[in-house]
Amino acid sequence: MATAIAIGESEWEVAVPEKPLKDKTYFENLKAKVIDTNLCSRCLTCASVCPGGITVVDNIVDFPDYETKCLDCGACVRVCPRFVYEPKSGLGDYIEFIAGRSKRFAGQDGAMVTELLVSAIEMGMIDRGLFAGRDEKWATEMFHVREPEQLAITTLGGTKYTFADVLPALKEAVMFTKRGVGIVGTPCIVSGVRKLQQEYPIFRERVKLVVGLFCTENFHYDDISAYLQNKGVDFSKLIKTDITMGKFVATMTDSEVKFKVKALEEILPSGCNVCTDFTAVESDASVGSVGSAAGFSTVAVREENAKKVIDFIKEKGYADFGEADTSQLDFLIGHKKKREENIKGD
Amino acid sequence: MKSMKKVVGPEYNLSEKIKTNVYAVGVAMQESVYPHTMTVFYPRERKKMPDNYRGFILFDPDKCISCFNCSFVCPANAIRMKEAPNKRYYPTVDYGRCIFCHFCIDSCSGGALKATKIHDVAYKDMDEMFTPTEEMIELPEIIREDKKYVEYEIEEDDLHLKRTKGEDYLFVEVPPPIQIPMVSQCIDRANCIGCRVCEEMCESGAISSSVENGMLRMKIDTDKCTGCGLCVKECSMQILMLKKLERK
Repeated sequence: MATAIAIGESEWEVAVPEKPLKDKTYFENLKAKVIDTNLCSRCLTCASVCPGGITVVDNIVDFPDYETKCLDCGACVRVCPRFVYEPKSGLGDYIEFIAGRSKRFAGQDGAMVTELLVSAIEMGMIDRGLFAGRDEKWATEMFHVREPEQLAITTLGGTKYTFADVLPALKEAVMFTKRGVGIVGTPCIVSGVRKLQQEYPIFRERVKLVVGLFCTENFHYDDISAYLQNKGVDFSKLIKTDITMGKFVATMTDSEVKFKVKALEEILPSGCNVCTDFTAVESDASVGSVGSAAGFSTVAVREENAKKVIDFIKEKGYADFGEADTSQLDFLIGHKKKREENIKGD
Repeated sequence: MKSMKKVVGPEYNLSEKIKTNVYAVGVAMQESVYPHTMTVFYPRERKKMPDNYRGFILFDPDKCISCFNCSFVCPANAIRMKEAPNKRYYPTVDYGRCIFCHFCIDSCSGGALKATKIHDVAYKDMDEMFTPTEEMIELPEIIREDKKYVEYEIEEDDLHLKRTKGEDYLFVEVPPPIQIPMVSQCIDRANCIGCRVCEEMCESGAISSSVENGMLRMKIDTDKCTGCGLCVKECSMQILMLKKLERK
């Protein structure tokens, strides 16, 4: 009796990535080449696709019991942006370089990240945006924003300077979405998304808007919270954290704590120490505070889809726009470019 | 305006009065000797349960494919899957929570769960109501003082209840569910990460993989696939789906 199936396939092939260490599992390869060499940026791209259980243990990406639980599929090394590390730096290509200030939302400077994602939801380009929120202790947690009204949660906007588990949440969002997902992340997260999109069509089709952030460095939650508490920061009163003019400013309801960013170098994660990308050159649009007047966000529009969103914002009049100066970014781009020498060659 | 009608009792003459009184005494005497009650003298007698009665749940481990459907569907969260010594997961029922909806039996894809008409299992405390898998395989020990069930039927003519007796069989014979033959199929090959979880999960050995020239070749044997859906549930990229099998 011959059998026939209406739709679907019984046989298919998957390309297997190469192993530098032949007799080890893929996770051991990743561990040897990225994690143990302090290249890992903790972007968690590997954790987002790992069917076994890559997770974060003591601020380091790890896989408890990988000897028994690792399925040796190679998904982690396929998507790791630093397994074959091609450091990117500079300003990158852009269509438009402008400063913007949202009229609707309050955020870090001009709240342009929030404005971009919410406008994309209103346009129908995406049906959910992934935001990193925070709890009372300033630990990050991920939120799926589907309605602009949800932005009433004031903890969604604003910079946290701690790592968020954006990419593991992205996979869940991609599985549930109908139209598309918008995501915001640091340059390492943007690189991770691009790598995912390169390897798996589902991410290519469903991640429609990738907003990158200007990033000098990011901190592990345990480190930065302990450091700030030593400096006398009370988390229950903390409203905003910011880095301006080389100083870290923690604004509380009644006082301010200021200190030089250089002092934070002792808790600088090793992954950031080898990162040369300041402007998230692979994103659809990069947003940051440097390069524009106070209260404005600098937006580098790089791709057509982000350009459409900016045009939509202009048409609806949701934001004020002004001039942005690329030369102000040169110092920080150069500062990060210097980190190239920290990368050890093979 | 309508005038109210006064209700007047029947008027009897003497002979009729004697006749009705004698009849009433006769009925009273008859009821004292052979009463027309609906009482069931439990536990000496047992009421006959309808064939779709939802009672104690029995379990057959040989038919269980550990698909977790029963525990997912349980609205009262009474069913927990516990690991058995043979590394399989089998259901346990907490009768302190069970609402006897028998959704678990309806959802069981292998027909491993079975309904019975047993409704009178006694427990000493709440902890004892948690029934592990081993106690679900055999019927609980029942001391049956009854040998016959009791059933009351209304006779058409004089509305008297007729008492019938017979032996009740406590298993419910439900015909096996009509199963549409389904097979697991890949619907999106490009997103496969090649983790081979499906191969590991497959109970019937229908999914196989081999590595040739740097390519991982996955194969689903449609003849061996039982359509249990375990691989579909476990696939981390959700690229497997159960499809109707059309035979030519």
